[in-house]
Amino acid sequence: MYFAEITGNVEVLAKGIMMGFGMFGPAIGIGLIGNAFMNAVGRNPEASKYLGQILVIIAIVELMALLVFASLFII
Amino acid sequence: MLTSLVTRFAAETAETGPSVHITPGEVLHIGQYSISNSMLYAWVCSVLIIILSITVARMMRIRPRKGLIQLFEAGTDFITNMIASAMGSRQKAIKYAPYFVTIFFFITLSNWLGLLPGVGDAITRNDTPLFRPFTADINGTLAAAAVSMFFIQLFSIREAGLLPHLRHYFNGSLKNPMTIFLGLFEILGEFTRIGSLALRLFLNVAIGEIIIAVFSYLGSYAAPLTSLPFVILEMLVGALQAYIFVMLSVMYLAVAVKHHEQHEAEDHAEPKAVNAGA
Repeated sequence: MYFAEITGNVEVLAKGIMMGFGMFGPAIGIGLIGNAFMNAVGRNPEASKYLGQILVIIAIVELMALLVFASLFII
Repeated sequence: MLTSLVTRFAAETAETGPSVHITPGEVLHIGQYSISNSMLYAWVCSVLIIILSITVARMMRIRPRKGLIQLFEAGTDFITNMIASAMGSRQKAIKYAPYFVTIFFFITLSNWLGLLPGVGDAITRNDTPLFRPFTADINGTLAAAAVSMFFIQLFSIREAGLLPHLRHYFNGSLKNPMTIFLGLFEILGEFTRIGSLALRLFLNVAIGEIIIAVFSYLGSYAAPLTSLPFVILEMLVGALQAYIFVMLSVMYLAVAVKHHEQHEAEDHAEPKAVNAGA
């Protein structure tokens, strides 16, 4: 006999925890990138021409967030 | 009565849920090969791109003309300037521009044409939608990323030759085991770049489709109204992801080509120093 059994729905719990903890990193990362960009533009308004570069870096970070979302369908 | 109207408008009780497709379905058979719906739509987009490009190229004149040609010229100029600023010289940009401009327009058009009304569950054949966007299918984006990396390797080898290209992964002396270890990791990195390019494009487009499907399901009779903001967001994201794909490919090419220039500059600099000493 078992000492205890898991009778609830573990899959839903796992999905929730994965989404919740997984989205911390990319969200904070994108916030930091925005912070750096705003600081740079505040000191030197000519730095706003780097918006294209910033969007590319945001896409690289956002890939991590999308990987978490895609792992939902694997579990 | 108002609450019952609201619940009636909010969700249809007969349906089971939003219709979400992640994998392609087979719609045709040619001989022994099965054609999926995203392949079919990729052919439609390719034919459209070929017709548009040939028409625009024939309409080119010295003086700017009004109309559709302006969009194509603006896009081509944008990508060519980006390549020139990444690689350093405008001449190299013009040499490599055809492939990158084409892939930019193809991915943008493929993402945007996936938002048309007929694409999706409206027209079905064999219980699967007849048309699905090419980039909303992991097979499609893997193919695009693999072809891009193949062309980057081809361009890089054409610039400097096969052996210098392989040598540039291992910078430092070859007798150092650390150099060989890092070099193998760099080669592995080339393969993971295929995965990252493919996944980024696929996930952005597929998740956009899922969001539109969910919001269309939630506003069952007012679906055009509730999903409109997300269709506009998807247009923006589609164009942005195409630009990011091309920008990252150009950066990989620029890094590979700059290594060769650096090594050539080092090799040419030494004899001059020897001549000056003697």
